[in-house]
Amino acid sequence: MIQRFISVMAGLACIVAATGRVDAHPHVWVTMTEELLYAADGSVTGVRHAWAFDDMFSAFATQGLEQKTKGTFTREELAPLAKVNVESLKEYAYFTYAKVDGKRRKDAFLDPIDYYLDYDAKETVLTLHFTLPFKTPVKAKAIEIEVYDPEFFIDFGFAEKDPVRLVSAPAPCTVAVEKPHDDNFPITLRLDQAFQTSEANIGMGANFANRIAVNCP
Amino acid sequence: MRLTRCIAMAAVILVLAVAADALATAASAQAGPFGAIHSAPVTGIAGWILAKQALFYRALSGLIRASKTDGSAYWGLMGISFIYGIFHAAGPGHGKAVISSYLLANEETWRRGIALSFASALLQALTAVVIVAVAAVLIGATAKVMGDTVRVIEVVSYTLIVLLGARLIWVKGRGFLHALRTVRSGPEPAAAEPADAHHVHAADAHCHHHDRSHHDHAAQPHDHALGHHHGADEEEDVLPWGHAHGPEPEELAGPGGWRRGLSAIVAVGLRPCSGAIIVLIFALAQGLFWAGVASTFVMGVGTAITVAAIATLAVAAKAMAKRFAATRNGYGSLLLRGVEVGAALAVMAFGVLMLTGTMASERMGMF
Repeated sequence: MIQRFISVMAGLACIVAATGRVDAHPHVWVTMTEELLYAADGSVTGVRHAWAFDDMFSAFATQGLEQKTKGTFTREELAPLAKVNVESLKEYAYFTYAKVDGKRRKDAFLDPIDYYLDYDAKETVLTLHFTLPFKTPVKAKAIEIEVYDPEFFIDFGFAEKDPVRLVSAPAPCTVAVEKPHDDNFPITLRLDQAFQTSEANIGMGANFANRIAVNCP
Repeated sequence: MRLTRCIAMAAVILVLAVAADALATAASAQAGPFGAIHSAPVTGIAGWILAKQALFYRALSGLIRASKTDGSAYWGLMGISFIYGIFHAAGPGHGKAVISSYLLANEETWRRGIALSFASALLQALTAVVIVAVAAVLIGATAKVMGDTVRVIEVVSYTLIVLLGARLIWVKGRGFLHALRTVRSGPEPAAAEPADAHHVHAADAHCHHHDRSHHDHAAQPHDHALGHHHGADEEEDVLPWGHAHGPEPEELAGPGGWRRGLSAIVAVGLRPCSGAIIVLIFALAQGLFWAGVASTFVMGVGTAITVAAIATLAVAAKAMAKRFAATRNGYGSLLLRGVEVGAALAVMAFGVLMLTGTMASERMGMF
């Protein structure tokens, strides 16, 4: 009896603890295309994000917005929303973290510039574009940019094709893209083709950071 | 007796561990953008649940689209919604922790545990549908307006959870202190008498799933006029020591009364889940609002099943604690009251953590 009681209590505690530990699961998926912007002297001046949201969230985000043509939104119609977006993102440090020569650099970025939203009416997908300028341009051998949501409400993943581009970088610079490790979750269950293209998005666990590593020897 | 004390301690620690775990999770979430990110791997069952529900959630979009032209996709949509609901209950803010703590703190039957789980999950689905129907369909509100509405509801819901916890702590704390006094001053005569094995009234003929403790209502008179209705489908929660003190507020409400569980149902079920709202809006945008509504309720049923399973476990644990306690004297009562107080504290802790935003619930509208 005592053992049974304890085992039931322990089981209960484990279930609550195990599921409680999972803080969140994403309701927003972002497919990223990133650019690192270089100045003429070879320093990195900023990061240019293009974040495409999943179709469900895109529908949610555009709900109730005024539109001249049904089914699509112009950049101007989306301008107020873009402003709200970048302003709210400040609280989350734009989910963008920089590492220079192996060292974390806190508070590395200025407020976003050149931001706008566009809407792909065919794919019904909303994309947020914005540039995060470095407070001081970074000249370093190794620069790493990570994009992730520590609370995992937003699942960031790189685009399949050309996820990262270096814009006017010095010739010897190379870029590597590291996707989240999903060793823990062998994807055995595929519901439809759509998932095959979003494998990066399903990567979860400790390493859900998407890493861009630039090396300029 | 040392063993008893040890087990009493273990049980209380276990319940507190659940609350502590929530705190720890909250703390690590608070560690800032550069801390603790890589140190807390989501693996094992939790990680698997997470991966699966992400998969199912993503499938919903394709199935809603397909439902426009293909009638069979509609059934696929219902199936995935159901499974998603089952997995989704693993997320926070779906009341599983609050409901199970509430059940641990109270005298409830497994049937009431299941009813509570279903009622709160379906209320949650209903809130999501009502918000979207009113805000989006009727007045064409934007996502921001809906997000703000949800936030207001969240605050109300979390406040209710805090109040529920506070009330439980007040009630259960008194019971605990009473048990403590009883232990200190020596066992009560009735509790010390193991020979009190006969049942006195005929109502006891109905099925007793867990409570095989021995009632002697003659030895421990309690006030039936105050609302102890021994209905055929109710299990009574009379313990040898249960009525040594005055009737507790929830006992006055009647053991089978809906009023007693209503506070928990509303506190937990009021807050809609972001996922359901997003699915509803997407369905609306696709011109299939009713498919979204059906999907939301099917999700609710799935969620309810998971919560009900955990709730049943909580009731079973409580029942065992009770049976175990019945075999001991004052210490058994102390154990039981300790578990109750711990569970009451957990309810309040969940409410406070969610209210202060320390414990991550769901957020929407940052985009």
